[in-house]
Amino acid sequence: MFALPQKNFRAPTTCLGPTCTQDMDRSHGDDLEGECSRKLDQKLPGVGDPVMLSSDTSYLSSRGRMIKWFWDLAEEGYRTYHMDEYDEDKNPSGIINLGTSENKLCFDLLSRRLSQSDMQWVEPSLLQYPDWRGHLFLREEVAKFLTFYCKSPVPLRPENVVVLNGGASLFSALATVLCEVGEAFLIPTPYYGAITQHVCLYGNVRLAYVYLDSEVTGLDTRPFQLTVEKLETALREAYSEGVRVKGLILINPQNPLGDVYSTEELQEYLVFAKRHKLHVIVDEVYMLSVFEESVGYHSVLSLERLPDPQRTHVMWATSKDFGMSGLRFATLYTENKDVATAVASLCRYHGLSGLVQYQMAQLLRDRDWINQVYLPENHARLKAAHTYVSEELRALGIPFLSRGAGFFIWVDLRKYLPKGTFEEEMLLWRRFLDNKVLLSFGKAFECKEPGWFRFVFSDQAHRLRLGMQRVRQVLTGKSQVAEDPHPSQTQKPSDQCR
Amino acid sequence: MSENRYGGAGQPAGASTDTWSISPWSDTHPVPSGQVLRDQSIYTQLLEMMLHLRQTMSEHFVQLMSRQGLLQEQRHTEAIREQEALLDRLLCQMINLLQSGAMSGLELQVPLPSEDSRGDVRYGQGTQLSGQPDPVSQLSDCEAAFVSRDLSNRGIDISALYQSKSQGYNAYQKDKYHKDKNTLGFINLGTSENKLCIDLMTERLLESDMNCIEEGLLQYADWRGQPFLREEVARFLTYYCRAPAPLDPENVVVLNGCCSVFSVLAMVLCDPGEAFLIPTPFYGGFAFSSRLYAKVELIPVHLESTITAINTYPFQLTVDKLEEALLEARLEGKNIRGLVLTNPQNPLGDIYSPDSLMKYLEFAKRYDLHVIIDEIYMLSVFDESITFHSVLSMKSLPDRNRTHVIWGTSKDFGISGFRFGALYTHNKEVASAVSAFSFLHSISGIAQHKLCQLLQNTEWIDKVYLPTYRFRLRKAHKYVTAKLKSLEIPFHNRSSGLYVWINLKKYLDPCTFEEEQLLYRRFLDHKLLLSCGKAYMCKEPGWFRLVFADELPRLKLGMRRFCDVLEEQKQDLRVKQLKPPASQPASCSGTP
Repeated sequence: MFALPQKNFRAPTTCLGPTCTQDMDRSHGDDLEGECSRKLDQKLPGVGDPVMLSSDTSYLSSRGRMIKWFWDLAEEGYRTYHMDEYDEDKNPSGIINLGTSENKLCFDLLSRRLSQSDMQWVEPSLLQYPDWRGHLFLREEVAKFLTFYCKSPVPLRPENVVVLNGGASLFSALATVLCEVGEAFLIPTPYYGAITQHVCLYGNVRLAYVYLDSEVTGLDTRPFQLTVEKLETALREAYSEGVRVKGLILINPQNPLGDVYSTEELQEYLVFAKRHKLHVIVDEVYMLSVFEESVGYHSVLSLERLPDPQRTHVMWATSKDFGMSGLRFATLYTENKDVATAVASLCRYHGLSGLVQYQMAQLLRDRDWINQVYLPENHARLKAAHTYVSEELRALGIPFLSRGAGFFIWVDLRKYLPKGTFEEEMLLWRRFLDNKVLLSFGKAFECKEPGWFRFVFSDQAHRLRLGMQRVRQVLTGKSQVAEDPHPSQTQKPSDQCR
Repeated sequence: MSENRYGGAGQPAGASTDTWSISPWSDTHPVPSGQVLRDQSIYTQLLEMMLHLRQTMSEHFVQLMSRQGLLQEQRHTEAIREQEALLDRLLCQMINLLQSGAMSGLELQVPLPSEDSRGDVRYGQGTQLSGQPDPVSQLSDCEAAFVSRDLSNRGIDISALYQSKSQGYNAYQKDKYHKDKNTLGFINLGTSENKLCIDLMTERLLESDMNCIEEGLLQYADWRGQPFLREEVARFLTYYCRAPAPLDPENVVVLNGCCSVFSVLAMVLCDPGEAFLIPTPFYGGFAFSSRLYAKVELIPVHLESTITAINTYPFQLTVDKLEEALLEARLEGKNIRGLVLTNPQNPLGDIYSPDSLMKYLEFAKRYDLHVIIDEIYMLSVFDESITFHSVLSMKSLPDRNRTHVIWGTSKDFGISGFRFGALYTHNKEVASAVSAFSFLHSISGIAQHKLCQLLQNTEWIDKVYLPTYRFRLRKAHKYVTAKLKSLEIPFHNRSSGLYVWINLKKYLDPCTFEEEQLLYRRFLDHKLLLSCGKAYMCKEPGWFRLVFADELPRLKLGMRRFCDVLEEQKQDLRVKQLKPPASQPASCSGTP
């Protein structure tokens, strides 16, 4: 049930239990510190015991060594990409990135909007120490924005808003103030794998997985369907392993499934959480990236009555919906004053520049531009890109899931894995990378079944076309390549997903 | 008399290090040890026991559930859960009652600090919670955020720290002085912020080169900081720190503020419970930052204001004192991993000479200690006759792999709201471990561009900004020190920083931290925010830090209120002294 060896959790000094350990039961990157990997190879595979990482020559503390080791491991795929990034003119044979979930379709619109004169504003209070929850003018704007776009039945309140420098910081802060060390959040898989690291790095909080299947069985109506029954089972199992579960994390629209929860489903999950006194963190970072009109998206803030408002905490950010992952802006909405205050107490470590706060307020306030220019155009471009990739996949006879939300398609490449193992999944991932296209593999999302990949389609047409061409080359040329098992290249890339 | 001066009623001898120990509410909830118990009120002891009990109970229920879970008995499970909820509710009620009792003590005891720059928090006091219940205190304010059933124990701890720390500052935030709109509002001479050059900075930031939107700025980038910014920081530090060789951008990591840099360094250099040495008085934010996430202790190296055979000037740091503190801490079983230095010093405004700096570094090397040097006031040296020597200017560092330098723009450029701090370290391993945290402390690409432009323009910095800034600092410093001289208040500031360190012992009778706190309160009552010495872990009661880097009209009004308070205090003192002598009429004698 838990990807992590129990051993890790007992070590009191370690900070990193869960991160990436799930990926360590096979070989590791050559570029890792020799000592670490050698020791790990010698000893039992799959156990990231911190003691094994100790080294007399290190300048770091033992948790520092652990953290560095995991970091080096986790970022490998992404770093490979950065060293050899595709550029139409300068590096046409560089790597195309269909792995990182970024919206690169609307830079022209954004750059025009952010260059307008109302964005260039400097005043003393923006240059000085702020209210650590975020400037009031911004929190007011966020409250209005969420009221409108989440279709809240009542006006949301600025005092329930806390602003931070990104969703990662918010996950980290919530984990720290809601859980003790070693406690856990339930999370349905496959899920955006970086959350593991977010809740663990400072908080030392783990994730308890609710494994979902692609198989439609029983009362399910679609693949990877989350049901209360599965939540109950996972919770019971967590208890039986002595793990205390403090909350449930839901991502809606879902990453990597590109799915949305219906109001009824949401309501059921929330009632389940209430029954067990669990906090619910609802990550709605893709809320405005629902590009298929037929998909009825419902924010948790749109519900008439929340079953347990004091334990329901909503996250939103501009990284995805406004294609500005480099801007570092995220917000928490919670009616729980204690939680808001506790998160705000950590905010001096996760604050964002006053000038940027001002620009964000200007952006969120400009309802005309958002409704009439940005959203229609963004959705049209997302849809076109989505259509292109899904047609490519259909032409290849490859099954996939995607209902019309998010930047990605969840692709079923199981038929390309003869034995259906995660080792093969890794080999295939490596083969894609060798052919200069970066994807994310299912294991990074803790998918139970080997062979699933996430394809990000929110990129400019020329790059997308080239990327898909390289994908096709790998998949159609598969028969020749399959004989060659690349024994020397079983490098472990791990979750480059973001 | 002298005993009183050094002991201070609030601080039993030998207890000084105890106050630095990690909060007993931290992760593991140890039952409080005898040592800790000695310093704390009955409320606090009970409170800790209750929190411990709550934790134990919850663990017990988890175990119970795990057995139950296997039996799959739905009804039993629910019954257990109800029991648990009931017990937890009762426990929380008790904890809340105790908390209010303990807090009322805290209210009296803890200096309500002005919020300082990067998170000035009175770390020691937050956990000390000593004193007797005081019914007059503002319970309602504190109670609210404390024991909440929704927060983890460490969440409660974090909130408590925040609350205790920000009361003075919040009062100021809600009721700021404004020359037209709120003439009776608070004047803040407590927060170390440079408000002297807002005009210059505003002008500079509105120039056209600042506004650039590129694709790369809006997307995920190198978490250590955009390469263009790291290159600029390396160049900037090479130039202003007078580095003998060009500094390497690969050794730079930029985060959103120096407190983040310090916090992450504590994470990666120490394991929980390990410690850094730090000379007192020191900037209180270090205590907050080392504790909050990293659970690292700070062991004070106490310095004294009196001039003696060993002390050639007040608050002198010597290797002997460092050594003594180190050995003492080791005897107590502490694992000391490093030494924290601030240069120019906060709150003293001192600068270390290259010779002394070298001695401290050699001391650290001798004992395999890391040295974290915070040079955040590096360009705020306003006395032209004095040269600041950055640690990066040294020809050869005794232990370059254990020397880590912090700098940021908050003070020197007066843009604390920008959230920018940089680490420079030769140690690749440390740089890389710090980078692992950088996605939790990242800076907006747009802000990174502006910072790069700012640091790049050395001509503007050298010809426009720095001369004006230093001129204004000098002027404000002169104004404040002249006032202090006329009041015959001894002060300590030689050349740098945004503040003077002043001695108000003669206004305290008896000279205790309680009286210091009451005086601090009196300033607050007169709408003036200062920082008291206890917040800097000063060993002697009666010291305050007064920030002068503010515009003259506000500064003048602040100083007028300052004089009023001291006049009032003097009157009170006179009345007090005329009364029949109390059991011990200890007052502090002359000032150094």
